[in-house]
Amino acid sequence: MQIIISNSSKEPIYEQITNQIKSSILAGDLQEGTALPSIRQLAKDLQISVITTKRAYEELEKADFIYSIVGKGSFVAEQNLEVIREKKLKVIEEQLSAVITNSREIGLSLDELQQLLKILYEE
Amino acid sequence: MFNLIRRDVILQKRLLLTFIPFIAFFIIMDAHPALTFLVASIFMPINAFAYDEKAETNILLNSLPYTRKEVIASRYLGAIVYMVSAIGVTSLAFFVFNKPFAITDIAIASGLFLVFSALTFPLFYIFKRGYVSPVVLFSFLFLALIRKPVVSFISEHLTVINNFVASLSITTLYAGAAVVIMTFYAVSWGITTIIYQRKVF
Amino acid sequence: MENVIELKNVTKKFKGFSIKNIDLQVKQGFITGFIGANGAGKSTMIKMMMNLLKPETGEVKIFGLDYKTHEKAIKERIGFVYDGNVFFEGMNLKDIKRIVGPAYKHWDDDLFYQYVEQFELPLNKAMKTFSKGMQMKASLAIALSHHAELIIMDEPTAGLDPIFRRELLDILQELMIDGSRTIFFSTHVTTDLNRIADYIALIQSGELVFNQSIHDIAENYALVKGGTELLDRDTEKDFVHVHRGPTGFEALTDNVKAVKDTFGDTVFIERASLEDIMYYLKGGLQYV
Repeated sequence: MQIIISNSSKEPIYEQITNQIKSSILAGDLQEGTALPSIRQLAKDLQISVITTKRAYEELEKADFIYSIVGKGSFVAEQNLEVIREKKLKVIEEQLSAVITNSREIGLSLDELQQLLKILYEE
Repeated sequence: MFNLIRRDVILQKRLLLTFIPFIAFFIIMDAHPALTFLVASIFMPINAFAYDEKAETNILLNSLPYTRKEVIASRYLGAIVYMVSAIGVTSLAFFVFNKPFAITDIAIASGLFLVFSALTFPLFYIFKRGYVSPVVLFSFLFLALIRKPVVSFISEHLTVINNFVASLSITTLYAGAAVVIMTFYAVSWGITTIIYQRKVF
Repeated sequence: MENVIELKNVTKKFKGFSIKNIDLQVKQGFITGFIGANGAGKSTMIKMMMNLLKPETGEVKIFGLDYKTHEKAIKERIGFVYDGNVFFEGMNLKDIKRIVGPAYKHWDDDLFYQYVEQFELPLNKAMKTFSKGMQMKASLAIALSHHAELIIMDEPTAGLDPIFRRELLDILQELMIDGSRTIFFSTHVTTDLNRIADYIALIQSGELVFNQSIHDIAENYALVKGGTELLDRDTEKDFVHVHRGPTGFEALTDNVKAVKDTFGDTVFIERASLEDIMYYLKGGLQYV
């Protein structure tokens, strides 16, 4: 499992961890049932405090991405990928609508917008 | 407790190498056997205080699982243990050099040693580091100065006591002295423990 | 959650300085960093935790036990590292081990030699020939070799070069993998703490300002910057300290939420570093 932490990021460290684990799970890199490193091991490996990894795992648990068994550790939970995909799509739709609204305000044409999207997507 | 007493041997092992030549020197110079025994007994405890005087040592000892009572007890019991061993080694040295000595020499030396220890040990814990040696030196000079008047005072006024002491048998005299000295030592032990328990490091 | 160290209403007066009514709990299984300016009372507090100093009022409990009745049992379970060498400086590590080792029931010779090897310490050289970093490593090796549950350190990183400071922090993190251990250490180098501390206790002129998790600190404290015309008696009440300059104000708040409600988007709110917090609190505890 790869996690990269930026100390200069505005995003709190625990959020960086939860986001990266989430994307690994959604991308299928972390399969259902995979054991995650223990809170203390991960803290040591990332050279951060225990309480930070603890919080990251707690957030992941709350969002049902992982589950923990006392004495055994934390595991990747079963993901209903369809539902998650749907949720994500909805978020993307909302964000795109905002993009379109902004584009209209400054008179950006669909072609220009598509071109911009293409450049950014391929970056 | 044993470990606390033993630490002096580890701390002073290099210094202990000089112990035998030191004693041999006294024996060869034909110093009074009682004096030789006394010097031999004082050797270790006095050197031990060179370490104990340091604040760091006290911080260390009191951070380890020892109580303050034990630290002081190790000092007082250790002094007796080292005195007995020093006397043993010194007696052996006397045999080796084929010089005579009497049991009374040992008795006098150990008596004096215990009195000396009882007097000086509390001082090491009352005064701050670096002040003890001057204090001991000053007390010694002070005692030397008042010795004459005190002795003459005693000989003038206390003939009664003198007569009383003279009337006692040797055994009673020694036994009495032993009890007095041991009591003195125990009182000193108690006082030092109280001082040490109030100390701040 | 169990508190390993518990101070209740502890007071100690000295000439010109005193520790005032301190209540402090240190949680098991975490690293608590103890910060404060030089002379704020950090060493005094640590000495009280080690029973080298007795408080005038209040109580000190370690592992839930009292020093009066359980002094030996408590110290048996503590590993200590002080600022500066407390071991006999003329002695080598082997002899020091011979003196210190037997004091503990759970002294582990193998573990000790393992640390000696890991830290590359010479066994037969006198302690006084060691560099500051090596002395620190030696103290640490001794502190860690009796399976202590609580490790108390007074300024362990003072005078160490950055490379060794990092090494030390790695060692401490390694220790924390065993979840029952607790580490409490004082420092005035706050960058050491940003990385590994779970809780931060801040002391200022003998008073405990706070003892919070790093998340709570990040959520409660912030630097606020804006134009001075925004300030008045009401808007200032959520600031711990305000610095007014010709180009605007800069203030520290311990209540980010209230500041957001009051000022909205008219000010910049930035994350306050521990150094920022210490600096702004230095002016005193009184709310401006």
